[in-house]
Amino acid sequence: MNAGAYGTPQPRQPVQQMAYICAAHLITYPRLIIACGSENTIKPREPIRCQDCGHRIMYKKRTRRMVQFEAR
Amino acid sequence: MVSATKDLKQEATDHPAKDGFEPLLNETFAGKHLTDPIPEIKDKWKLLPAFLKVKGLVKQHIDSFNYFVNIDLKKIVKANQRVTSDVDPHFFLKYCDIYVGIPERTDADAANQPYTPHECRLRDLTYSANIYVDIEYVRGRTIVRRKKVAIGRLPIMLRSQQCILTGKTEAELAKLTECPLDPGGYFVVKGVEKVILVQEQLSKNRIIVEMDKKNNVMASVQSSTHERKSKTAIIVKHDRIYLKHNSISEDVPIVVAMKAMGVQSDKEIAQLICGNDHDLLDLFSINIEEASKLKIYTQKQALDFIGSKVKVNRKISGPRRPWADEALEVLATVVLAHIPVETLNFREKSIYAAMMVRRVLQAMNHQVEVDDRDYVGNKRLELAGQLLSLLFEDLFKKFNSDLKLNIDKVLKKVNRTQEFDVHNQIILHGDHITSGFTRAISTGNWVLKRFKMDRAGITHVLSRLSYISALGMMTRIASQFEKTRKVSGPRALQPSQWGMLCTSDTPEGEACGLVKNLALMTHITTDNEESPIRNLVFVLGVEDVNMLTGAELYQPNVFVVFLNGSILGITRRAEKFVHDFRRMRRAGRVSEFVSIFINDHQRTINLSSDGGRICRPLIIVENRKPRVTQQHINDLIAEKLTFEDFLKKGLVEYLDVNEESDSNIATYEPDIIPESTHLEIEPFTILGAVAGLIPYPHHNQSPRNTYQCAMGKQAIGAIAYNQLNRIDTLLYLMVYPQQPMVKTKTIELIGYDKLPAGQNATVAVMSYSGYDIEDALVLNKSGLDRGFGRCQVMRKYATMVKQYPNGTHDRLVDPPQPDSELWNETYSALDADGIASPAEPLESGSIYINKQVPSNTNAELGVGAGVQNITYKGSPMRYKSPQTGYVDKVLLTTTESDQTLIKVLVRQTRRPELGDKFSSRHGQKGVCGIIVQQEDMPFTDLGVTPDIIMNPHGFPSRMTVGKMIELLAGKAGVLAGKLQYGTAFGGSKVEDMSQILIENGFNYSGKDYVTSGITGEPLSAYIFFGPIYYQKLKHMVMDKMHARARGPRATLTRQPTEGRSRDGGLRLGEMERDCLIGYGASMLLLERLMISSDAFEIHVCEECGLIGYAGWCQFCKSSKKMKSMQIPYAAKLLFQELMSMNICTRLMLDDAL
Repeated sequence: MNAGAYGTPQPRQPVQQMAYICAAHLITYPRLIIACGSENTIKPREPIRCQDCGHRIMYKKRTRRMVQFEAR
Repeated sequence: MVSATKDLKQEATDHPAKDGFEPLLNETFAGKHLTDPIPEIKDKWKLLPAFLKVKGLVKQHIDSFNYFVNIDLKKIVKANQRVTSDVDPHFFLKYCDIYVGIPERTDADAANQPYTPHECRLRDLTYSANIYVDIEYVRGRTIVRRKKVAIGRLPIMLRSQQCILTGKTEAELAKLTECPLDPGGYFVVKGVEKVILVQEQLSKNRIIVEMDKKNNVMASVQSSTHERKSKTAIIVKHDRIYLKHNSISEDVPIVVAMKAMGVQSDKEIAQLICGNDHDLLDLFSINIEEASKLKIYTQKQALDFIGSKVKVNRKISGPRRPWADEALEVLATVVLAHIPVETLNFREKSIYAAMMVRRVLQAMNHQVEVDDRDYVGNKRLELAGQLLSLLFEDLFKKFNSDLKLNIDKVLKKVNRTQEFDVHNQIILHGDHITSGFTRAISTGNWVLKRFKMDRAGITHVLSRLSYISALGMMTRIASQFEKTRKVSGPRALQPSQWGMLCTSDTPEGEACGLVKNLALMTHITTDNEESPIRNLVFVLGVEDVNMLTGAELYQPNVFVVFLNGSILGITRRAEKFVHDFRRMRRAGRVSEFVSIFINDHQRTINLSSDGGRICRPLIIVENRKPRVTQQHINDLIAEKLTFEDFLKKGLVEYLDVNEESDSNIATYEPDIIPESTHLEIEPFTILGAVAGLIPYPHHNQSPRNTYQCAMGKQAIGAIAYNQLNRIDTLLYLMVYPQQPMVKTKTIELIGYDKLPAGQNATVAVMSYSGYDIEDALVLNKSGLDRGFGRCQVMRKYATMVKQYPNGTHDRLVDPPQPDSELWNETYSALDADGIASPAEPLESGSIYINKQVPSNTNAELGVGAGVQNITYKGSPMRYKSPQTGYVDKVLLTTTESDQTLIKVLVRQTRRPELGDKFSSRHGQKGVCGIIVQQEDMPFTDLGVTPDIIMNPHGFPSRMTVGKMIELLAGKAGVLAGKLQYGTAFGGSKVEDMSQILIENGFNYSGKDYVTSGITGEPLSAYIFFGPIYYQKLKHMVMDKMHARARGPRATLTRQPTEGRSRDGGLRLGEMERDCLIGYGASMLLLERLMISSDAFEIHVCEECGLIGYAGWCQFCKSSKKMKSMQIPYAAKLLFQELMSMNICTRLMLDDAL
């Protein structure tokens, strides 16, 4: 969340904002649940809160890198 | 008429065969033969699930909590409802009502106020609701009423009335990410699930006669009312009887005490105590003599005598009251506090004291009259509700006294800026009640000065190792006895615990027999109102005690009636009274939980309506017939009737331990005899939830069942339906759990088949390879490949991104650029936000949260100091485990104190390896000794290879016949395509199982023809072969394996650190040291104890023997005789410590050989 933390301040492009997924289960209609799932950005030192539904739990998105699992 | 009878007579004489009874003479009547067995009620166990729907298992916790919220809370407030001021006599504040809302968030601006328990678990919140009061108070010159004023927050028990989960369907629970099988009954405090364990105590307000240390008889009562708790005893000292109480400094001769209570005549005293029994009178007469020796004849003299010995604990002693008044007050309110004294009418109390003395006298004559402390009927269980109500009472009183102080402070000011409104005071009064509750529940310390109560370890973290461990915790009972006592009494199995407490489920070792578990079909009562019962008792013909003398009290055939330990009166027709009362109860005129029983020894009838008694339902038997008929059961199965209906119709009733002992209960229907009063619903309910998992436990040696009860809680399996949404510190999950082939009814009732913990392994009972000695198991490698015993370990790593008071704050930092010098492998999992992303693999040493902490968090920063000036130091969180883990989930949230909380869940998938622990359901644990290729495994003629080979030596000494039957039933089940039952005292019969085996072309004894996988030859014996349910236990080598050569050392002693978690050394302990000494291996000893540990080079002066510098003695101021040598650093430390205590230690040097 903070750039340039390692000693020498080298020119670096600003880190792009990370997106997090809201964990809310919204019960909109009887017997219908919709996960909010809207993407939010989190700023340091600001309370975490979904812009859409006000829920306060966020999950991080799955990595975009390739992951190879060991099949044993 | 006359003719008609004539006709009949004639007919009878003419045709004797036609009397209407002819069919009876036939061989069969209505298709039944005379000797045919009487049909029993089928499926009467169906009452059990019906019972569990309304009561039982954890319902007692919930009932108790509901009782607290609905009734106790109101009672406490009613007792403390007025707050007044010393300053302004016109002022008052009155609490009109109190109630608890539903659990809601604390932040006011939230969109949806109610929250779910699961959100609390994830966000480390407390699942609590506001406590509201309706108040009435004086503001200025008017009386103001306000409704719904919040005074604090109460943690809410899950699935209690207030909880939002109550009454929800399975689908609705799923929406709230809550498991429908989760029993509830616990609290979520600061994100941790906390259980208030059931506490076992001796019952209050009852006379207990026992022998003291000197083998003297004593009768004692623990009085407990809302105002006071005290213990009164009647003791025997030198054959004389005394009253002993803490508030009286000396023991009071009993006759003096009786006189002080207004029974002045010696004859009346003697009669109240002894009746007309001359033996007792002889024994008692010495006491009367003693009183006359003391020259005490009147009440006034007696009161003066006692008054001089009363301990006065008054802070501000105003004008000292006369001794007699002092004594009178103590006798009225403190001694035997549970017997009310109204308008100084001591009649009831004096009779009560006389009865106690009588019990002592009787016990002096006959030892059998002594009570048994360990009898379950003499015990009461204290539940969450009672403990919370004690806590609330204390907190509420404190709240009110603080409030009063504040009010006084404000009212003292003559000129106030605004009109005084207490409402504002209450709102701003802080969170005293809230924090009191959360602190008590989260630490488990109940410290209540008001009741002289200081108990630790009341609450425990709910163990979520497996579903069973959580359930087992909810039924656990902790006793209050100290563990050090050597007497075996409290630990022993009590006959009276039949059906109430599980006979098998208790831990081994220290707490053995002290920690118990509830049986399956039990309920713990809550308090019932006394006054309706009192009225009913008098309506049913009981004579009031206040009208009686001793002569009437102890006549033969007279029974004294007690209600909750206090005397109501007498009855001359005990049987009829008890019978009538029971009929009223069965008709529902009094609560079903009121118990009544006759004690023939003491000639008493005891009624109990107090809380904390264990009770269980039984079928009522009348005239040798159970009142429940097949029709009722059919209606129950068709859901036309519920368990409540059975109670209402008087078919089934609850009995507590005392009443159970007074009943004649038939276990099975054919066992009913004319004296029978009740019939068991199902005998397997004498076991608890955990012991109920064992198939065929009635075929096992009993300790094996006990071992299994401990082990079943360690089995890895499914934990809850929401297990993948949970982020727990440590979570073990099985990858492919299966429900057992051999089930029990208990398994179905508690839902173990839906959340199982184990797999049906094909087991061959034979010897193989020699790696299977001492209970080691041989595992099939292909079986492991197919997923046998595979489990996942999820571990939570959490951190707070803190803000400090000086304005600095922690920060998360992105990893260095991959091409920069600073970059290394440990950064590879990190994302741009400094947290590892889900699905990233973590190797040992990888950073998953790259956090930095400001180097200075204390000092105040200057005004000009900008963000640039703050220096940070890294405090990255590194993953440490030999096995690669994968980030499963990363959760970011804000806690109540607005700090950012990050939880990272890391997952490992583990396949069984050498040394992992497994167990069957019969207390037969074993570790994996070798993993064998499937090709080398033995196989049957069908080509089946076992998953596990178990050594047959495990059987003879353990005598777990149940395991063999499980194998047989399991095998039959597999072949028939059915699940078999191994329910205790029932279940599938071995004969039937053998029949199924034979029908499928197998040997009836479960043995198979097996070919060796190594030689290809048939084995020389038939092998006992079939499925047994195996559990993988949480003990895995990976978490235990530890070795070290060199490593970290403790700073103080320079010796290697201790424990695996600190990469510690392996200790060569005293006993190992003794061996080496005995063997004479001195150099090895020296190496182990010093060189490999904390060798340290010192320089000693030969002259003075003190430690100096290298080549210089500071004491002798010379460098002549300095010698260098090696000693343990700990020894050097000792010398220095001694020196600091002004003890000089000198080393005398000598040449070593």
